[in-house]
Order: sequence, then C-alpha cells, then structure tokens
Amino acid sequence: MVLVLALGDLHIPHRAADLPPKFKSMLVPGKIQHIICTGNLCIKEVQDYLKTLCPDLHITRGEYDEDTRYPETKTLTIGQFKLGLCHGHQVIPWGDLDSLAMLQRQLDVDILVTGHTHQFTAYKHEGGVVINPGSATGAYSSITYDVNPSFVLMDIDGLRVVVYVYELIDGEVKVDKIDFKKTPATTHSAH
Amino acid sequence: MVRKRVPDWLNSSLWSTTPADDGLHRYSPSPTTTTTTSSATVSEPTLQPPATVPPPAAASKPQSTPTSPKLEIRDPVNKNSNNNSGGNDQNGDSSGVSPDDISRQAQLLAELSKKVINMWELRRIASQGIPDGAGIRSTVWKLLLGYLPPDRSQWSSELAKKRSQYRHFKEELLMNPSEITRRLEKSVGCDNDESKPEGRGLLSRSQITHGEHPLSLGKSSVWNQFFQDSEIIEQIDRDVMRTHPDMHFFSGDSQLAKFNQDAMRNILIVFAKLNPGIRYVQGMNEILAPLFYVFKNDHDVEMAANAEADTFFCFVELLSGFRDHFCQQLDNSNVGIRSTITRLSQLLKEHDEELWRHLEVTTKVNPQFYAFRWITLLLTQEFNFADSLHIWDTLLSDPEGPLETLLRVCCAMLILIRRRLLAGDFTSNLKLLQHYPSANISHLLYVANKLRTQAIG
Repeated sequence: MVLVLALGDLHIPHRAADLPPKFKSMLVPGKIQHIICTGNLCIKEVQDYLKTLCPDLHITRGEYDEDTRYPETKTLTIGQFKLGLCHGHQVIPWGDLDSLAMLQRQLDVDILVTGHTHQFTAYKHEGGVVINPGSATGAYSSITYDVNPSFVLMDIDGLRVVVYVYELIDGEVKVDKIDFKKTPATTHSAH
Repeated sequence: MVRKRVPDWLNSSLWSTTPADDGLHRYSPSPTTTTTTSSATVSEPTLQPPATVPPPAAASKPQSTPTSPKLEIRDPVNKNSNNNSGGNDQNGDSSGVSPDDISRQAQLLAELSKKVINMWELRRIASQGIPDGAGIRSTVWKLLLGYLPPDRSQWSSELAKKRSQYRHFKEELLMNPSEITRRLEKSVGCDNDESKPEGRGLLSRSQITHGEHPLSLGKSSVWNQFFQDSEIIEQIDRDVMRTHPDMHFFSGDSQLAKFNQDAMRNILIVFAKLNPGIRYVQGMNEILAPLFYVFKNDHDVEMAANAEADTFFCFVELLSGFRDHFCQQLDNSNVGIRSTITRLSQLLKEHDEELWRHLEVTTKVNPQFYAFRWITLLLTQEFNFADSLHIWDTLLSDPEGPLETLLRVCCAMLILIRRRLLAGDFTSNLKLLQHYPSANISHLLYVANKLRTQAIG
C-alpha cells in the first residue's frame, strides 16, 4: 500500500502565492511515500516544502522552473508499476492523447504523469494510463484562466492502483477516485 | 527496640550463592555441563543455539542416567548438607535431580490424562516445577491460565472457538486501509472498471465511498486511524526485533525467527487495538516471549501450529493481573507499580529487618531502582531464559495469582545475597541488584516458599 502524490504547475510565486489552505491542511508529513512533480514549481522554496512532506521527491523540468538541473523526463518503479514523469510542454499538441501515448511508449511505462495544461485529465489507452494532475494552486495557464486547483494521490497496492483526485471547486475539496488494474498480460514487449 | 533476629536457617551457608556451594541446576541441560561443577556453566543460557526444540527435551531421557553417577562425583559437602536439609521437602531440593524429576513428570502426566483435571492438585505439583521434556509445560500453562477448561472433553470445542475468534480479530484489525476500502466498495455494490481491457478514452471517475480517502482528517476515517496507529505499530516492531537477540528462536535471519517475530507482532498489535486504554507499553514483548516460546515448542503438532492464537489469549489472561503496572496514570495509586514495590519493601522488612534497614535507610537504595523491572517484567530479564521458565512455573501455579508469589520470590532474591548486600554501599548494591548474579533456582524458590509459611514478627 504505497501512497504517491502527483502534482505540479504551481507557478509560485509568479502566478500564485501558495497552495490553497485546504490542500495544505491535508498534506501532512508521514503519510505519503513518494512525490512526483510535473514541473513549474517554480522556486526552490517550493521544493523544500515538498521535501518536508516526503523525502522521496521527483521533479521534472517545466519551462518556468528556476532550477535548470531538473531532468526533462523521469521514470521510476513503484511496486508493480512503472511511472513516467514529464512536464508536457515538450509534447505537442499540448495535452493530445496520441502524442502523449507516443511518449509513454518511448519511456516504456504503465502510468505517465504530465502537466502543463493545468486541467485534470485521466486517459486510458492500450499501453496504459496517462494522468494530468492539473495545477495544485489553480494558477492560470497559457490556454485558459479558468483553473480549479487540483492534485492526485495514487494508492498503489499490488497490481491495482486507486487514483484519488482532489479538486477545489467553489471553495470545497471534492474527492473522486479512479480504479485501475494492471493486467499481468500487458507487459510491454520491445516494439 | 529489639532487632528481629535473623533466623538461623537464613544464615546457613547453604543459601549463599557463592560458586563453591552452588549445586547444579535442577535440570541439567546438556551432557557437557556434567564435566565441571563450577557455576560458570550454570549461568550459561541453557536453551541456547539450535533452539527449535529445547535441548532438555532431547536430553530428558539420557539425562536421568548421567545425573546419578554425577551425584557421586559432586562435592561430598553438598551431598551431606542436602541430606541434612531434609531432602524430602516438596519444593525442589537440589540433590535429587533425576528421581524427583521423573516422579514429577509421572505425576503430571497422570494428572493430565485424567478426564477432569483436579486444578488444586495440578497447581501443587506444578509449583514444584514442570519438567522440560515431553511438552508438558505448554499444556500445564494453558490450564493454569484458565485457557483450557479442567474438563478434557471440552478442550476441542473451546480451542476451536478461541482460535476462530483470534482469526476473526486478525482479519478485522490487521487489514490495511486499501483493503478496507475495497471491501467497503464491494459491500456498497460499486461496479469495478474491469470491463474494457482494450480501449481508449477518458477514464471514468467514480464516487468515493463514505468519504474515505487517504488524506482524510476525519476522526472516523479508516485512513486516519491507520496513520495514528502506525506509530504504535512501529514501536511494537522495534521491540519485537529486540526481544532475546541471543536466541535463534526469536532473532536472526532464519525463516523461523521471521515467522515468530511476525506472530508476536500480530499478537501485540491485536492486543493494542483491542485495548485502547493501555495500548502497547514497552516490556509487554518480554512477557509475551516465554509464553510464545513454550506454546510454539509443544510436541503436539496441532497445538504448535496454533500457538499464535493460544498465546494471545493466555497473554491477555496473564496481563490482566498486571495491567495496572503498565498504566502510567496509575503509578501512584494504590494499584499501581509504586504501591506494589512498597509491598515488596514491607515484605522484606517483615522477614529480614536488618537487610531492609541496610538497603533502604543506610545505603538508600530505593527499591524502585531494581524492583521495577523485576515486577513489571515478571523476572524475565533477571535470569536466563530457562531459569525464567522455571520461575514462571511457580508463579503461574499460585492460586492467588502470580503477584503474591512474585513478591515472595523477589524478597527471596534479596535475602539470598544478603551477605553481599550488607557488605556493600549504594553503588555496589545497586550494581549487584540490577545485574542479579545467577543463582540456583531451586534454592531461590525454596526460600520463597519458606517465606510464605514463616510466621511474621
């Protein structure tokens, strides 16, 4: 039972001051085992804050990140699942399922987490699942101003992952979930 | 004020623990110890290395023959003084290791094979000590702790009932929150995604059941409770790992040790969850250890396989008399540990005022410094493992409950080393009491029993 927090596109301090207080009150240290961050934090203080929540932190580079040393993409294995991380501004058209699926095949992962669109989406295709946790602060994006703060918490338990989606809608935290099971047969053979 | 005279029998050289006088243990563990009579071998933990089945069990039969010629080799002094002390005393004298042992074993087996066991009789025999062989101890302890009823015919039904209850507890309490939510969903009747293995498109979002999500801060949330319990579970884990690091049964990398550690961990976690008032306190693992060891090493395969469940209930039973010692709030009350220590102090004063005065007044050794561990951990830390099993035989067979006998044994421990204590100052006395020297257990229990019968004043 491994808890993985996925979030990104905070754009602190340029477009938002901080995470919404309701989110901050829920995010306490000791509960989460891994944090994956799609990028655009943008400053080091945000990284330090995330580090206090959980020591195992993975970040990829967004186009506004001040720290240039983050990698463009990252892959990690948690339990039975391979996760891929990328900010998403590199994949055009932004947010397009087919192009993201290409990236997923390239990275050879079961779950791909990308951001940049500031909209929560969860797609499924033959290869696996693509998740966009949205913007945790509700910062405006290049595409739209109308953004609800959101992030994603994945509960990886054996071959099953439950994706909990936390969204702040009209000042209230709404939680939904998505169930995803990895069938052992879907092992990615070398294409 | 007239000083109470120390009775002569206390001052007899028989009861000192200096090596020369020390007889061998009641049950000599392995043939190697017959070579020398020095107590250096006595102090060696007798149930050491390949300890899945206690070596005495294997050696119990051959033991009877080597011990008889051993008696001849031993100190003539010992033999004579043992004869003088009236070796017929019921409560364990050191000389007749083998004949007494065998007779006790026979008596116990006879008692155990009866249809309805006479508990009074069983307690009487058990208080002299239970032989290590033939897996008797496991059954006797279960009877003494009230886990098995005296009527043999009820055993199978009782056992089945209790074991299934424990299984039920484990299932309920040891589930992790992911599983719990999964079960909740099933019960609510949510249909899982499974339907389309191949397919693309948006993944459908579904409602969460009962507002349960991992970051929930609600009091009744399964997840929240899980995280709060995880602290206690960590503590239990740490203590289980540290239990008896010298014994292969409990510690090390072997399959057996891991299995046993898991079992002990489960028992303590279930106990902590069922008893929110007392939860887990450091030291409970030490009380659990002998119980689990004895039950797991039962010769009966079926009993040994269910050792975890049996140990849980016996542990609860045993702890019920001592719960108050573990509750910090009750420390200063008249059921707490401080009052028990005061009782010990009083007992010492009654039986040996000179020593009491020297300890508490002259050298100011506060009994809390040593007696705390003796009492809360039921003497498991003061002697080696085999000896503490023997002491527990006597403790558990007391019909009034282990506490009375425990206090008498503690008092006897003090009296046995009185010479050294009387000669020492604060530092040396404290050191001596906190690292109690190895003693002949039969002597110790004999003295403790004498304290019961001796008139006060």
